[in-house]
Amino acid sequence: MKVEHSRRSPSAPGPWPTFLRELGARRGHLPLLLGAVGAAALVLVGPQVPARSAVIASAQPRAIRTGAIRGRVDLRHVVSPAERRPNVADLGAADERDRPDRLRSVVYLEAAPRGAFDQTEAANAVMDQRNETFVPHLLAVTTGTTVAFPNSDRIYHNVFSLSKARTFDLGRYAVGRSKSVRFDRPGIVRVFCDIHSHMSGFILVFNHPFFTITDTDGRYRIDQVPPGTYNVIAWNEGLASEPKPIVVPDGGIVELEFALR
Amino acid sequence: MIVARFPRRVDGTRWRRSDAGGGASRAAWAYVWLLALGISTPARGQSLPSEPLVFGGGRVTLSGDVSATVSCGGGDEAAPASCREDFGFFNYTDYEHSTLHMLRLDVSAALRATRRMSVLLDVRSENGSGPRAYGLYLRLRPWLSRNVDLQVGRVPPTFGAAGRRTYPADNLLIGYPLAYQYLTSLRPDALPANADELLRMRGRGWLSSFSIGDPDADNGLPITSGSRWDTGVQVHGKGAVVEGTAAVTTGSLGNPLVGDDNAGKQVAGRVALKPLAGLIVGASAARGPYLARAAVLAAPAAATEDRSFTQTAVGGDLEYSRDYYLLRMEAIVSDWTLPLADTPVIELPLRAVALSVEGRYKLRPALYVAGRFDHLAFSTVRGTNEVAAWDAPVSRTEVGIGYAIQRNLQLKLAVQHNRRDGGRVHRLSIGAAQLLFWF
Repeated sequence: MKVEHSRRSPSAPGPWPTFLRELGARRGHLPLLLGAVGAAALVLVGPQVPARSAVIASAQPRAIRTGAIRGRVDLRHVVSPAERRPNVADLGAADERDRPDRLRSVVYLEAAPRGAFDQTEAANAVMDQRNETFVPHLLAVTTGTTVAFPNSDRIYHNVFSLSKARTFDLGRYAVGRSKSVRFDRPGIVRVFCDIHSHMSGFILVFNHPFFTITDTDGRYRIDQVPPGTYNVIAWNEGLASEPKPIVVPDGGIVELEFALR
Repeated sequence: MIVARFPRRVDGTRWRRSDAGGGASRAAWAYVWLLALGISTPARGQSLPSEPLVFGGGRVTLSGDVSATVSCGGGDEAAPASCREDFGFFNYTDYEHSTLHMLRLDVSAALRATRRMSVLLDVRSENGSGPRAYGLYLRLRPWLSRNVDLQVGRVPPTFGAAGRRTYPADNLLIGYPLAYQYLTSLRPDALPANADELLRMRGRGWLSSFSIGDPDADNGLPITSGSRWDTGVQVHGKGAVVEGTAAVTTGSLGNPLVGDDNAGKQVAGRVALKPLAGLIVGASAARGPYLARAAVLAAPAAATEDRSFTQTAVGGDLEYSRDYYLLRMEAIVSDWTLPLADTPVIELPLRAVALSVEGRYKLRPALYVAGRFDHLAFSTVRGTNEVAAWDAPVSRTEVGIGYAIQRNLQLKLAVQHNRRDGGRVHRLSIGAAQLLFWF
């Protein structure tokens, strides 16, 4: 369940305006400089429209057409059905509960393109506790996202994590109540219930928006990827693939398959 | 069961070593553990396995617990400082095993044959002994639409609450509540002839001896055993607010058995209310013969005619938790009857009252503090020269911290102070550390 974010254009200002601004600011001669550049252009190539257009185009941000990465993550290992520990000391059988969906994976860019770290808008997500299961079992969010953990069961739950990326303990709270945690550091956060050891979930926190969660068949698509060369990683239940290098062309779509053993 | 006798280390008397395991069984046990650790699917966020092993599409589930506990203590002149023994025997579950000097390995398994039928097993090894089946029973659910279960075999204890929380991961501290572990002087296989004999064994439940029945010294009985389960049939039903359990078993609260030794059955029941989230209020009762037939036959015939000698207990427990704290209380009153062989006559019933209060508060996500206060009191009997409680009253205060190195790898540190109004050792303070891991 990828959280919806408003994505900024990943394109950065081109080199020309920066250069000009720096030079003008240092010397206070920006008008002279512009005049000299214009004169030189006239002397060298004459007043031809195409050449002038080229200069203007490179002096302003070019409209970059983003691409996409799509494919499938094939889980070659046996996905455990996440059973309870044998409740030998209990006086009766435990209630039936929902099984977490462990077939979904996360696919993400190992390093984000320039400009991807400008994310400032806080996002919100929800990981429910329902029928002794975290729903969804897997969340992928950007840094700064606040995740709410409502309790939808009639029994207590106690969400906690000892992961380095975010350590927290929300204590015990009853049905209808919700507590939230803000995730400010990228990393993998494993979430548990202190009362029900069979409850676990994952929250993957990224400092860029170029990630997605697959469907249950493993299919995925990452959109709005700026053209460039990247390493892509697939991840499932703590198992990560080797980074796969790809080149995303301007406005193109790249197919990329993963096999997680 | 193999029973061997070994020389006593300290005072030359003898001890009983139950189920002396051979080297082969220990090796097999170690192999099972290594295999379990090796093939466990790790939750890759951690370096050790954290989830039970699942086979056959969920039909077989296997989990494990391992805990290592060490302690050092010292008290009055009869209990010099030592890291090898608890000279006061305050924490022994029998003559050989102290809960504070323990390497314990547990493997639990559930085999789900059908939706209505499962087999549950808990195999345990303590201090390197061969594995023993602590629990082994069949669980049946006759109606799939109703929360009613029938359990047959060596079943979890019906009575009380703490008896089902003796796994190290469920225990807030390191020691057990006194009612579930502390050994009184009463034995199932030997009887005091009179009140003087009973009073002589005050505070010596770790190695008690009487003149009727088995003449060898051996450990006495706790009020209710937290280290063994009884064998029989158990019915459990659960609703939204209330749940109830009834059981008929072979042994007694203090002396659970696999094979019957007196042709009598114990009847136990428990009702628990859960009126709101976080609150559990329970009441329990049990009654059953506890004396072995051999001990009864050894008593004078006039003292045993047409009588059964029972342990009868009632108990109440309460648990409340919210946010970062947890509070538990439990009280048990237990009465024993026994043949009156000689004068001065023992005033019956022999009563023990146990009270336990414990709490936990989480300071940080991986760190908590916990404390427990326990007290055992006993009814008085009149001997030739004194009137005193038939066993020495005991109090214990234990405080500690628990630190989670990772979710299923925990370090506990605790300090325990024991006081006893009788026996060789009256005061003993112990510092203990426990490292536990489970998957």
